[in-house]
Formats: sequence, structure tokens, C-alpha cells
Amino acid sequence: MPAATSGSPRNRPLRWLAAVLLAGVSLAFAQPDSEPQLESAYLVNFLKYVEWPTSKRTTTTICLFGRDTLGPFLSSHEGRVIGGKELRIRRVNSPDDMQYCQLIYIPDVEEARIGAVLRWIQGMPVLAASNADGFARSGGGIELLRTGGRVQFVVNAETLSRHGLNPSSQMLRLANQVIGGDR
Amino acid sequence: MFQKGKILNALSISYAAAAFALAVAWHPVHALQDDDLSLEDLTKTEVSSVSRRNQSLSNVPAAAFVITAEDIRRSGAQALPDVLRMVPGIQVAQVDSGRYAVSARGFNGRFANKLQVLIDGRSVYHPFFSGTIWEYDPIPLEDIERIEVIRGAGAAMWGVNAVNGVINIISRHSRTQTGGMVAGTLGSNGQRQLYTRAGGSIDADTTWKLSAQGRHAQPSKQLANDRYSEDDLSNGVVDFRLDRSLSGGSNFSVWANAGSSSVGDLYPVTPNLADLQTLTSVPITQKVASQTVGARYRWLSEQGVESSLQTSVGNTSIELKDVFEVTSTQFDLDYQGRYSFGSHDLLWGASHRTVSDEVWSRYVISVAKPAFTQHTTGVFLHDNWTLIDDRLQLGLGARWDQTNLGGDTFSPSATLMWTPTRSDTLWAKYAKAPRMPARGEQDVSIYVGYRPPTASFPFPVVLKAQPANQPLHDETMEGFELGYRSQLTQQLSMDATVFQYRYSDIVTSSLGGNSLLPIGGGIFLPVQNLDRTNGGSGWLSGAELSVDWLLMPTWRMQLSYAFTHVNMDDSANSVTQGQGLREERSTARHYGSLRSQWNVASNQQVDAWIRGSSGIYRTLSPYPSEIYVPGYVTLDLRYAYKLNKDIELALTGRNLVGPRRIEYVTDYVPATPVIIEPSWLLSARWKF
Repeated sequence: MPAATSGSPRNRPLRWLAAVLLAGVSLAFAQPDSEPQLESAYLVNFLKYVEWPTSKRTTTTICLFGRDTLGPFLSSHEGRVIGGKELRIRRVNSPDDMQYCQLIYIPDVEEARIGAVLRWIQGMPVLAASNADGFARSGGGIELLRTGGRVQFVVNAETLSRHGLNPSSQMLRLANQVIGGDR
Repeated sequence: MFQKGKILNALSISYAAAAFALAVAWHPVHALQDDDLSLEDLTKTEVSSVSRRNQSLSNVPAAAFVITAEDIRRSGAQALPDVLRMVPGIQVAQVDSGRYAVSARGFNGRFANKLQVLIDGRSVYHPFFSGTIWEYDPIPLEDIERIEVIRGAGAAMWGVNAVNGVINIISRHSRTQTGGMVAGTLGSNGQRQLYTRAGGSIDADTTWKLSAQGRHAQPSKQLANDRYSEDDLSNGVVDFRLDRSLSGGSNFSVWANAGSSSVGDLYPVTPNLADLQTLTSVPITQKVASQTVGARYRWLSEQGVESSLQTSVGNTSIELKDVFEVTSTQFDLDYQGRYSFGSHDLLWGASHRTVSDEVWSRYVISVAKPAFTQHTTGVFLHDNWTLIDDRLQLGLGARWDQTNLGGDTFSPSATLMWTPTRSDTLWAKYAKAPRMPARGEQDVSIYVGYRPPTASFPFPVVLKAQPANQPLHDETMEGFELGYRSQLTQQLSMDATVFQYRYSDIVTSSLGGNSLLPIGGGIFLPVQNLDRTNGGSGWLSGAELSVDWLLMPTWRMQLSYAFTHVNMDDSANSVTQGQGLREERSTARHYGSLRSQWNVASNQQVDAWIRGSSGIYRTLSPYPSEIYVPGYVTLDLRYAYKLNKDIELALTGRNLVGPRRIEYVTDYVPATPVIIEPSWLLSARWKF
């Protein structure tokens, strides 16, 4: 018969829970890197490793498309100066917003709309990044993917050059995979 | 009550723990150390090994929760309803080895009718019973990419019957399922499960997958006498999918799905109508079979309109051996368009569904029309209008549905979402949602039980539930919700919702006339008719909370809690009044869980899940008496060990603590309550 029918073990999970929480408190200030945290750091870094066509703008904007999964994690980077330009974050939903973006992030939950967004930025100097599976292969700029215990990235060099963007050789070297272009 | 005390104790500990956690972890979102990490450092940084991502979507103006494929696997659940237990506000109660009662925000029942369930946009809500047949596996759990659960009225977008919530199951793209896989489970209580899959690519743009799953469970023990009941379960499902990417962002998918489910039951019935007091248990087998084929085409127009056209045809049959059988053929056609311009994001769509059924019944069930075809056509329009960039968004939507069973309905919704910071979202929602009467409610008469002799009337009376003379029309729900969502720190997030809804014209029983039932030998039994009318009304209010906390890179905890209060209006009709009271008393006020996901090592996971519910009262058919289903707190544990990147072994224990208990008693049909026992499961997954 299961132990459940006897009396005392019933309290055990509760005590266990209390112990676990107390242990947790002491560790609460250890700051783990979650996947969205790392992805956010990646997006900011891409701004340093990709060269945009010269322009007079004084800001660089990361646009978050659709259902926002990174906003809270990017907010700590907002206002930083990257390559002499102030970093802005903006939520976007429509093609008219694309003119404000240097980088647009499309979360995997918006996978069905990737084609539309890529169409919106055609011919514009905008870098599209996503964590959706197969994004780079299907014409996206940079795909973030989780392999093993790390977040890595795939670059579609052909797409980047079509948008007038120039990835640094260091970035291409660090990429998990580079699609198109001559490496 | 002993159990009640325990529940309160456990719940108060959970609250205290959550409050403590909040207090400790409450410090402003700090700048990340990763600021100065180079790209090279980033590629080498170990990411938190638990959970791919946060389940909350910060800018959705609704009570939304996302279950990821990893959550499903780590839950140790063998059936879809057990996965849904982690969602705040979704109440899941296991009836027996295969049957479940699942609802959002109260009004639960085995035939709970206010929750819409969609798989890739296709409804699996059964139009005859007005509910989901949970004992049937519509898709293997391994084939699910994620489940998006939206509580609250969703009819303005998802159509009728999305009253208390919508469960959107999104299946995995075949691109992510190339190669082969075998997963098997062996467990106590005769639980067995085997899943196999093969997939591949035809060319660079075309991939396919074929999967099959079988599942079996042996009967449970009866509450009354510890003898085995008859609820042995045998399920099978085969699922095929082919996806092709076309140029210009278009894509095309086809799928085919077939499944069957067989689960027994033990009906306490009266073999001798002259002696209604004597009950005999009769085994009855219920068989469900379903086949569907469908296709979807998504394309982009030159003007930037995103379109999706989806169609499917299917056949479903439900058989209660020698008593009842319904076969239905359904056809669905669904178009959705989307066009974003300026500060607007416009969605519109039209859908049509035809369901033709044929019914056969005898003994206690009779159906007014042996065949019927129901047509439902709907159109909707929705606009998300950004009033202030990054700050304020207004959503307005409406849907019209027209059907030849129940009439026309109009479902409006309005939302306002304010995001004062990137980490905080405050939203408000008004919505109205209809539930259409089901064919089973409109046309079925059933002898549901009897009333024993009383002092004033010293004869047993047979109770007959039947449609009233007046046709039924839609039930409606209308109300408000408020929600607040916050990423308190990089590791801690919370999501809270409060709501109040008003229901009117609920389909309920009312005291009807009397008749006589001949039982042979010139003897007649008095019959009390219980007429189904749109006579019910009432209030629903409640609150839901979920907290997600990544304590360490390898350890994450998630709390979910829901308070639900149903308050039906008093009725002058004694039967309606009684049914309203039963509805109130069968809603669990407190329902919650605390999950811990811990990666002990890179190849080992230890998961714990404490779940609990407060007690409810259920009616025990065929007696019109109530039975108390005590509240419970129980524990699931799972240990998984990865031999290499392709092979994983897991040991799962479910329902491990707490007294012997039943979790639910089914509605309408005669019921034999069974014990939900602790169980152990050993699973292996192999990808190749």
C-alpha cells in the first residue's frame, strides 16, 4: 500500500518546501543568466559588430515586434551609448514603424508573421533577428539558437549584405554558422 | 473538517512562501553584468539550464499563460489535462483512469461547456455534448510546441463557446521533428505508453513527420468497496504533418490525424424498475474514434495583407455500448487576415462550420431528431490601436455568429493596456461571450435518476431531464477583468488578475410537469420532468496569481494560485434553485500549485510539484444525494537522467502524498467514484 495512507509523511512536503525556500533566500542574490537576458545582451552586441550605412542619426533603435518577450530585459541597456549613438528600445507592430528601427527582434511566438516583417523591411538598412527555428535559413538576418547550455547565433550574410549591412569578420568567426556570402 | 484544515495550512504556507520570496527578491532591475561582455564572452556563457523562457508575455491585454514543450516534459504528465494543472485559473480534476473534468474559472464538470479547445486553430470542442472529451488523446504530448491558455471571455476572437477561456494548442512544425524518436513509459496501475516518430525532409523547403502513440491504464479502485472498477483505458493516435515553405513568405501545411479511445465505466442502475432502491453495477464501454484531414495556406499580398486559409474535414463517433451512439461529420473553413498600418493592427476573419450527426439510442436516453445538420457562420473584426507609442494601446473587437441551433450572437470586446515601464503592464478588459446550446441539450431526454420516497410522497419518483417546449438560445457572459504583470527583477516575475463576470440565460433545469412511466404489468411509476430552459443566472468573481522565480541558474520555482467564487441568483423554481446551489458548491474556491525545476547536474533534473485544491460537493447519480469530495494537497516528483544528448531516462511519482481520495464525481450519468492512487512511472526517450 502507498505511504499516503499513513499519517505523518503528509507534513513532510510542507517542511521540505519551507526548507527549500529558506535555502533559496540565501541564494537569491546569485544572479543567473536566463535565456532572455542573454538574448538581450546579444542584440545589444550585434549593434557593435555590424556596420550600418552612414547616417546623421544620433540614436540606435532596437525594435521589439509583436508580443514582447525581451522588453524587461533590454530596459537596463536603454540609454547606453553604443558606437557614439544612444540606444533606444521601441515596441513595433506595423510597417510604418520600420523606419525607426536599426534592429528588429521577432520572438518565436510570432513565427507565423516572420514573412510579413521581412517583407516590411525589404530594401531598408534594418537587421532582423529572431530566436525562431530556421529563421536565418528562411531569409532572416541573424538567428539566435540554443545549443547545449549556450545561446549561439547563425548569420545569413547574404541577407545582411542585401540590407546594406556589413558584419565584422570577428562576428562571422564567432557565429555558429554563416549562410551565404563568402566566408 | 480534517482535510480542510490541512488545505488551509498548506495554502497559507504557500502564501507565506510567495510573500517571503517577493520581499527578498524585490530590488530594482539592475544593470546586467553582461553589459560589458563581448560577443565572444556571450557565445561562451552558460545559460540558465532550467526552462527555455519566461511564460508570461508582457504586452498581452489578457490573462495569458504559456506552457512550453519543456514544461510538458518536466511535468511527468501522461495526459493533456494533467499538463493544464499548472495554469492559474484552470481547474483540473481527474474522474477515473481516463476521464477528467477541466474548466477555466469554475463551472467545471466532465462536460464542462464554457472552455474552447483549439489545436492549430481547429476546435476539438464536441458540438453534441458541448464540451471536450478529455479521455480521447487528440495529439501526442510530444508533438506539442506550446500551449497558450487565455482565461476569460475570448469569443470576440475565437468564436462562440470561448466563454471562460480558450486553450490554444500549437503543434510542432515538422521541420523541428526530422529524424526518429521512440519514447516509452511503464508504470504502476498498468500504465503504459509508447510514442514513435519518424520525420524527414523532401527538399530544402519541405519537411514531414509521422507520429503514433498508444496509451493504456488499468482500472481504478472503487471508493465504496476497494474493488476494481471498469475504467480500463486504451488510446491510440496517429498524426501526420507536412509543411512546405513557398517563396515570398508564404507557406503550406497539410495534416491528417486519426485516433481512438476506449474506456470502461461502471454504472449503478436499477435493473428492476419496480424496486428502485436496489442498484446493480453494470459495466459499460465508451468508444470514441475520430479522423481528420486538413490543410492551411498562409500568404502575403503585394499590399502587405497577411492571410491564412484553413480547411478541414473530419468524422467523429462516440459509442456507449448498447445504449447510445452518435456519429458526426464536420467541415470547417476558416479565413483570417491581418493588416498593420500606422498605429493600427487590424485583424479580421470569417469561418464556417457544418456538423452533420446521426444518433442512435435506447433505454434511458432518447433523442428527438435522429439526424441533424448544424451550420455555424461567423465573422470578426479586431483592431489594436497604439494610442501612445510604447505606453498605451486600445483594442476593440467584435464578432457575429449565426447558427441554426440557438440563433445569432454578438460578442464585443474592448481592452486597454498601459505599460508605464518596460517591466510593468497594467490592462483592463471588457468582454461579452456567448455559449451556444448543444444538440445534446436541445434534443436529448434522459432518465437521470430518482428521488426516494419521502414522508409527504411515499413513492419513489423517476427524474427525467428533457428539453422544454421552448427552444434554447445562447447563454451569455459579460464582465470585466483587470490585470497586472511585472518583471520585478531579471529573475522574478509575477502576473495577477482579478475578474467579475455576469452570466445570464444559463441552460439549467427547471421544475416541469409530471407523467407516468409504464413498467409492465399495468404498473406505472410517477415521473418528474426536469425541463431544460435558459433559466439560470449568476455571478462569477475571482483572482489569479502566478509567480515565476529563477533562484539559481539551475533552479526555478513557479507558483500559481486561483480563487474562484460562483454566486448563482436565487430562483423561485425549486429545481433551478437547487441546481444553482450545486453549481456553487461544486466549484473549488482555492486551487493552486508550486512547481520546482532543478537541474542537479547538466545531465540530471529533479522536479517537484505540489498541487492542491479545496473541497467540493458533487451530486452522486442516480441518487439525488451529494457527496463531499475532500480538498487535497499532493506531490509529484520526477528525476531524469540523460545518458547522452539523445537518450533520457526518467522516474516519475504522481499523487505521492495525502490521504486516499477521490478527485471528482462525474455529472449527468450514473457514477462510481474511484480512488486516485499514487503511481510510479519509468520513462525512456530516445532520439535518433
